[in-house]
Amino acid sequence: MADAPSADRVLDAKGLLCPMPIVKLAKIVKEMESFQVVLLEATDPGAIPDVIAWSKNTGHPLIHQETVDKVMRFWIQKA
Amino acid sequence: MSSILYVHTGGVNNPERSATPIYLATTAAAMDVEVGIYFTVNGPTLLRKGTAETLIVPKFDGTGAPLRRFIDQALDMGVKFYVCQPSLDLHGLTVDDLIDGVKMIGGAAFNDMALEADQVICF
Repeated sequence: MADAPSADRVLDAKGLLCPMPIVKLAKIVKEMESFQVVLLEATDPGAIPDVIAWSKNTGHPLIHQETVDKVMRFWIQKA
Repeated sequence: MSSILYVHTGGVNNPERSATPIYLATTAAAMDVEVGIYFTVNGPTLLRKGTAETLIVPKFDGTGAPLRRFIDQALDMGVKFYVCQPSLDLHGLTVDDLIDGVKMIGGAAFNDMALEADQVICF
């Protein structure tokens, strides 16, 4: 697996349930500059399909994903 | 920009049906979708001032969160709330009885929004 990219921002959404991880992700990405990367950490079991769907619709690419134990980590780059 | 119009017919007598259209709309707004919720039939009863603070969206274990939390998240994300007069009349409500941020429209405006939207989803 490729090394995890560095992140400009970290969003801890562990313990939050749908739709809050996506809502918080949308808000933080609005604050960021283009090409900056946010690392989202989530434990919502639906997070992987949700982040993929969010990325597809908003155009902000998911550039890396790792899951360790039950914590899913997503690196998303602002378009 | 894509757009979704939700139609919410659930009211205060069905708390378990009250929040789902609202948080799906919130999620859509987070996906950069233009999104509105049209509250009709019993839907306007959820928007009466003071109601959503005490209406608990139930969980299986008897706990739950007040509906107001879901409404505030939706408005904060830019979801538009609409009602029409006949469904207010059904419950003896006027637009002044409703929380701030609700827009009054008529049937023609609703149908026009439905025709313009990419998807209409009814609850």
